[in-house]
Amino acid sequence: MPPSVDLLQGTLDLLILKTLALEPMHGWGVALRIQQISKEVLQIGQGSLYPALHRLEYRGWIKSEWASSDNNRRAKFYSLTAKGRKQLAAELDQWDRMAAAIALVLGQDKAATA
Amino acid sequence: MSRDPHHRADATAGRWLRMLRLRASWFRRRPSLQQELDEELAFHLEQSVRLYEAAGMSAAEARHQALLDFGGLEQTREETWRQRPSWLIETILQDVRYAARGFLRNPAFTATVLLTLALGIGATTAVFSVVDRILFRSLPYAHDDRLVSLGLVQSLEKQEFTLGGFFYEWRDNQRPFASLTFETGTSDCNLTDVNPVHLQCADVAQNFLPTLGITPLLGRNFLPEEDLPHGPAVAMISDGLWLSRFNRDPGILNKSISLDEHSVRIVGVLPRDFEMPRMQPVDIVVPAAMDIAAQHTVNSGIGYPMWAFARLKPGVSLAEARLQMQPLYLHTQQWIPAEIRNDFHLQIRSIRDRQMQDAYRAAWFLLGGVLAVLLIACANVASLFSARSAVRERELAVRSALGASRGRLMRQTMTEAWMLALAGAFAGGLLAELLLQVFIAIGPAGLPFLAKARLDLRVIAFTVLISLLCALFFGILASVEKPRALALAARAKRSRTHARLRRTLVALQIAISAVLLSSAGLLLKSFANLENQKLGMEPRDVVTVHVPLNSEHYPKGFMDFYLRAEAALRQLPGVSVVGMSSSLPPDGWKSGTRYAEILAVGKSPAPQGSGGTVTTRTVSPNYFRALHIPIVQGPGFTEEQRRSDSHILVLSQLLASRLFPGEDPIGRHVQFGSFNPYFTAGPTLFTVVGVAADVKNSGLGVDSEPEYYTLGRDRDPDAWTRHHYFLLETALPAAVIAPWIRAQIAQLDATAPVEVRSLSQDVNQLGDRPRFATALLGFFAFCGLLMAVIGLYGVIAYVASQRTQEIGVRMALGATRLNILRLIAGEGVRMVTLGGLLGLGAALALSQVMQSLLFQVSPRDPQIYIGVAALLALVALAATLLPGWTAMQVDPVEALRNE
Repeated sequence: MPPSVDLLQGTLDLLILKTLALEPMHGWGVALRIQQISKEVLQIGQGSLYPALHRLEYRGWIKSEWASSDNNRRAKFYSLTAKGRKQLAAELDQWDRMAAAIALVLGQDKAATA
Repeated sequence: MSRDPHHRADATAGRWLRMLRLRASWFRRRPSLQQELDEELAFHLEQSVRLYEAAGMSAAEARHQALLDFGGLEQTREETWRQRPSWLIETILQDVRYAARGFLRNPAFTATVLLTLALGIGATTAVFSVVDRILFRSLPYAHDDRLVSLGLVQSLEKQEFTLGGFFYEWRDNQRPFASLTFETGTSDCNLTDVNPVHLQCADVAQNFLPTLGITPLLGRNFLPEEDLPHGPAVAMISDGLWLSRFNRDPGILNKSISLDEHSVRIVGVLPRDFEMPRMQPVDIVVPAAMDIAAQHTVNSGIGYPMWAFARLKPGVSLAEARLQMQPLYLHTQQWIPAEIRNDFHLQIRSIRDRQMQDAYRAAWFLLGGVLAVLLIACANVASLFSARSAVRERELAVRSALGASRGRLMRQTMTEAWMLALAGAFAGGLLAELLLQVFIAIGPAGLPFLAKARLDLRVIAFTVLISLLCALFFGILASVEKPRALALAARAKRSRTHARLRRTLVALQIAISAVLLSSAGLLLKSFANLENQKLGMEPRDVVTVHVPLNSEHYPKGFMDFYLRAEAALRQLPGVSVVGMSSSLPPDGWKSGTRYAEILAVGKSPAPQGSGGTVTTRTVSPNYFRALHIPIVQGPGFTEEQRRSDSHILVLSQLLASRLFPGEDPIGRHVQFGSFNPYFTAGPTLFTVVGVAADVKNSGLGVDSEPEYYTLGRDRDPDAWTRHHYFLLETALPAAVIAPWIRAQIAQLDATAPVEVRSLSQDVNQLGDRPRFATALLGFFAFCGLLMAVIGLYGVIAYVASQRTQEIGVRMALGATRLNILRLIAGEGVRMVTLGGLLGLGAALALSQVMQSLLFQVSPRDPQIYIGVAALLALVALAATLLPGWTAMQVDPVEALRNE
């Protein structure tokens, strides 16, 4: 088994938004992309991707349309909406702040125990 | 098991792809969305398979690996599907359809539940609609909780009043109120335009409506200058009058109407729900236009009577208001004649308290009773639900095994509960409307707001609320014990949990029934006492005639008319005695004197303010004969004395024994006096000529007052008021003799209205209120008992049927039929004993609350409690013996063969 990392709640949404920000993509593509970019560290359950995609679509952050894929097979492509772009920015910002805060706490911890 | 895993995976994937196609046809109602999802997922899998194939896997391996990567396919489908915003509603609809099918499949269950709920909810709604206005609903005034009624009370008038002589002093010097206002009562008035009508007019202060927080529907309130003596004549009319007389014409403002032949300008229309604080009916409101200066001279210098209402300043409590008004009241006291000063008190209470008087307790009592019935109904439905889910255990276990989560099954049960509750609320609403009609039909006249009770939106909201609460109660009880998937195997064990819950519920129902039954029993006994008490007179065969004469037609007094009417009535066929009196026992208006103001000559006067009040009536000698009141001592009044000059009295036994204890009162003298500041006897010396037996004179459930009678004499024309009564002893019914009486009176005064009534009917009506409470609570107790017994029977019968095989085994092993009966009935006996003891204990604990509602019955009357215990035992025995008997008839061979 490859090493898997449990995703924080809401992190999957962020990853999907970030992935779709590059270009419209179908679900399979999103799964592949996240796996590849994270160098197989983030082993997301492919199944859990779809509820997330649909949830984001009902929230209006992404939209979907059916189009031909590279091998001429009909596939559902998702793309970011303007609202989604704003949401992505906000979530990235929040992520940065949280990551910084966590790093700070952990760094202090290390200093204390060292 | 050890077959090629790839082959299995292949089969799974193939089945899944087939299922996707199948699904697409299943959900025709929403094909596009469902299909889209399936197609999307299929695409994902295809791509995954393709990738693995490209990496060199066999088709089967690739498929297996793709499915592994993906995780639970069906789970993903469900989870994704659930993201849709309409998912919840769709699931609920699905649950509803499923539940409805279940209900239709089991009509006996559905009907029983609906009937039980309808009864519980219907009765509760009907009672709530009656007591709502008494207990909860706000009065039709803005911030009605800040409004108070204030004034003086004394032993002869317990409803607070004020007088013009001090009202203005209070108004100008008070501190606790934002404003103080008054009304001077309503009086007859006539609209004398074309088609004259008789109306009720109220005189109010200029700030009356603003103080109560009432805004006119149309137009404006009175102006200060309109509230001055000889100010412009203006009026506001009620919405009712606006509709009936002017067809809600918006142009009514500033039109003039003729009121008692004076032209009056309409300046406003009162709101639809307008109500005088003392609840007198009113059609027209006019400014009182008080001459403030004159209040110290008119009416012997005390001013006109008025009724004061005030709005508390923000933050001032009722208790603070009482405290702050005390100095003003003390000042007012200086002004009350010293001899009666002690008899007066300041009273300040909320308008609601003034309106409801003693109706609170009865209202709470009825509400409590009906809520108990509702609780029994809900417990009954819970136990029916529980029995049903025991029967459906397998069905639910199968659903559970097929993947329905526990939450889903709970939701299913709750959906069923809500559905039944709402259907029950609907049926209950219809029943409530019916019950309300019955209440109004049999209800007593004196119960406030009964006739006005309606099922409006507020009451319907209450109905829906209680039915939802009820559903929550039985739904949760039924769903906490839902089977797990294991239930298929562990059937027997689960059934036992169900049974325990139902036994508890039945015991609860029995307990509440016991409380209801004992309360109803106490009321019934009290009512019987009330009906059977000695009136001290015989109202049967007595017809009373009241002729409220128009004073303007009798400038010389009414005596002449009464004497001629008496002679005329004597001529009527079938009338044996004609008596006269200024008032009628046993209830209703009567005049009174303070005991301390009666002096038995030769004795020292009673201390001022002691002894309470004494009833007094002016009668003719035949009064005693008509009512069959025995004169126990002395000759009493004679016809000749009516024309004599002598001042004579007849005392009641009670008064005689108090004025002349242990002595013969006949021939003794009595004087009436006043404290000024010491007792000063009046000039007239009255001689006691008789002692009459005591008569109920203060209503049925109350101790009688002492009483004395004076003789209506020809020499004393002022003693004859326009409200004298004739009492006719006749074997004829009032309806038969009434036209003859009217004809006789019409010959004397064609304009005088004549009221003819049967005294026994009037006396009977006094029992209406306790009769109403007793009938209602009796009905509740009956419903409660019925439901509890049905619940008991259901549980025992169910237990017996569940244990058929066990019984068969026992009998095969040698148990006698009696053993079996004991086994089954023992179950019921335990429930009834536990519930009954609990209920009787609770009833005893609660009984003190009933004290004030009971007449000559102890709230712990042992007879009642023993009777309730016996009744419960009897009914419970029947409900357990029946299924026990069936169990006894079990044929062991049959029972064991079924296994």
